[in-house]
Amino acid sequence: MSNHRTPPAGAQTCGSSEHTLHRRLFLQGSMAAGCASVASYAGLFSIPALAEQTRRDGKKCILLWLCGAPSQFETWDPKPGTDTGGPFAAIDTNLPGVQVSQLMPRCATIMDKLAVIRSMKTEPSEHFQGIDLMTRGEKPRPPFTRPILGSVVAEQLGQLDSPVPQFVLLDPCPEGNEFKAFKAGNWAGWLGAEYGPVRAGGEYSIPDILRPETLSETDHSDREALRRFFSRKYQNEQRSEAAASYNAAFERVKGLMSCAPLFDLDSLPEADRRRYGPGAFAQHALQARHLIENGSTFVMVANGMPWDNHVFQHEMHQMLVPELDNVLYQLVTDLDERGLLDDTLVIAMGEFGRTPWLNEARGRDHYPKAWSLAMAGGGIRGGVVHGATDELGIDMAESPVDNHQLFATIFTALGIDPDESYDLPDLPTFYRVEGDATPIASLLV
Amino acid sequence: MKQHSLKRTIHFKVPTGVFGAALAPDAGTLACACMDGVYLADLEAKSADQIGTHASYATSAAFLNSQNAVVSAGYDGVVQWFDIESREQRRRVDLHQFWSWDMAVSPDETMIASVTGQYLAGGYKYEPQPETEPSVRIIAAESGEVLHDLEHVPSVQAVTFSSTGEYVAAGNLMGEVRVWNTRTGELAARWTTPDFTSWGIIKSHCYLGGIFAIRFTPDDRHLLLAGMGPMRDPMAGNGRQLWQKWDWQQEQPTKVDETHEGESGEGLMETLSVHPDGQLFVMGGRLRGGDWNVALFDLATGERKAILKTGYRVTEAMFTADGTRLVLAGTQGQPRKPEDGVFPDFGRIEVYDLSQS
Repeated sequence: MSNHRTPPAGAQTCGSSEHTLHRRLFLQGSMAAGCASVASYAGLFSIPALAEQTRRDGKKCILLWLCGAPSQFETWDPKPGTDTGGPFAAIDTNLPGVQVSQLMPRCATIMDKLAVIRSMKTEPSEHFQGIDLMTRGEKPRPPFTRPILGSVVAEQLGQLDSPVPQFVLLDPCPEGNEFKAFKAGNWAGWLGAEYGPVRAGGEYSIPDILRPETLSETDHSDREALRRFFSRKYQNEQRSEAAASYNAAFERVKGLMSCAPLFDLDSLPEADRRRYGPGAFAQHALQARHLIENGSTFVMVANGMPWDNHVFQHEMHQMLVPELDNVLYQLVTDLDERGLLDDTLVIAMGEFGRTPWLNEARGRDHYPKAWSLAMAGGGIRGGVVHGATDELGIDMAESPVDNHQLFATIFTALGIDPDESYDLPDLPTFYRVEGDATPIASLLV
Repeated sequence: MKQHSLKRTIHFKVPTGVFGAALAPDAGTLACACMDGVYLADLEAKSADQIGTHASYATSAAFLNSQNAVVSAGYDGVVQWFDIESREQRRRVDLHQFWSWDMAVSPDETMIASVTGQYLAGGYKYEPQPETEPSVRIIAAESGEVLHDLEHVPSVQAVTFSSTGEYVAAGNLMGEVRVWNTRTGELAARWTTPDFTSWGIIKSHCYLGGIFAIRFTPDDRHLLLAGMGPMRDPMAGNGRQLWQKWDWQQEQPTKVDETHEGESGEGLMETLSVHPDGQLFVMGGRLRGGDWNVALFDLATGERKAILKTGYRVTEAMFTADGTRLVLAGTQGQPRKPEDGVFPDFGRIEVYDLSQS
């Protein structure tokens, strides 16, 4: 059965004839990406019955984005005592027979709540392509830009009428090399800008969202009503897409003004802040929990690209992994204790793994052929370790998982149909997850 | 003006990367701390035998000639004594909860100093947490008994004794140097140089780098420090090849010299050694950019006198006691795949004849 639907005329689309793409141009990827990639298909993939169900489920997601790519050897797939294992030992967990790096003593106590995939096998070995793949779930198919996971989840499970941003990126690092380039790109893709993230954290604390004291609430409301009247009038008379975007932005700002305290780290309980740890990543992970509790649907926590340890691999991982260990432990434990874990999927992953061998600069390089990630809650079964690598962690030993199967699993866990399709005249059919991928049954509740 | 030249006379490989090494008085044997254990290498025979292992990488090795022993330290936080003749372990001291980053033996071989410390986030910008165990420990070389526990800020990455053994100095991630009196354990000097530490603006909002080698000059008046200059992106490893010379006995220690402009390339420097004649010192490490990764410098003027481009990361550089040879140890990148079940050797040892004319 085809689950596709055509976007309603005029609804969330610019009405441009450029949507009528020529198949040949599409396949060649030679269509100018600009207009097409920002084409807004808000109805894409939407199935009212499913959407209603997922809204009732109230599924949410926190992505701990370990940008730069962490080492599987120093996290979820240790190879102690081997030539590739590195200097750290492995420790037992509360899952019999399962060990993790000694740098993860806290997560070792909650492995019954975590699902670890030790057999990720993907293609890109460069950051930008890896980030693109592991946030969108698919390689680029120009001229369309596939929305990233957060945009899809926000569109499918979020509530547009909520003043709380549905998709939030918390990342204090304004730079980030390839991640910086990626952040500058189009995240929401064909869903449209309203499904893009609100960015906050560190230097990206959202400025000017508090009503000036000199402006009364009444005056503010009156001014907004006047602005809305004229801009709607202009939008309708001129059929102006720009005015529509402008109005959408104002609505978002209004929402942000009403929930500004959610973005104030200092307002979080001091005891919680101490538990999560002082680092920016840890503080923003706590903020992510706070946002999820208060109505956000998808929060992505990043801290630049700190895991890209071509030099000082072990010197960096000695600090980064213990922080991740504590953050994941606190987050999963908090969500569980608050009765939110079943409905909140936590994912901790980067764009690939790191080489089994050490380079001359005491670093590990990019390695997409055999790497690991972890998930918890939100429809994912805890206490599962899926797949395995060989003795040295060089090749896959069993059950390789690619981006398609991972995203099929994530979407299914969240109650989002991975097989939904969308057809445009004379164009190939898009699927939410391409490649006939099936979810990993053992990971699903 | 003297001309210095270096000519390679011996080179061979050992199974894994050499992280630390020391030369026996006869200059024919090298004790090597390697990723897979502790080795004794015969330089003329170009061979090496493993005499022991650590539970993690071995990072430092030294001869205790008065005990006919080799002492080693490793990332397992353990210090071990091995008998040179029987090659059996004589003693083991679990000294640190975290790594031993570096270890040094006092000139009279009565004391062993080892430094440790895990870098953990202590603030929003990833300032290091205070120590949770003594960062610097001095033990008796004869018994392993702890003589002094000395405070520092983790991670403490380099340690050395003065030529008289009266002082021990240690440098850390943040470029802070502390010097103590080894008899009393009292702090004798403390200062910070910001020039070896990076805070990642580009990729990583945290600290990286620090002091990786430290040596007293023969008169103990100055301290040499080595590492890598600051970088916007520490992950690039492209900081300036940097040494600094500090007059540490001033009330306020002062920098008196550093790598001269135009004489450095890029890369982490992690070993320093002073020539027996007290005229030269050598600094070595990894080449990231430029035309050398080992260089000789005039100790008095700081002028660069000779360079080497070894093609591998040098972790230890030392002169023979007669000053005629320079011995290097280090590592290439680890090979990607085993051959017939074994990774090809990638630890490197080289000997250069040093001539001065």
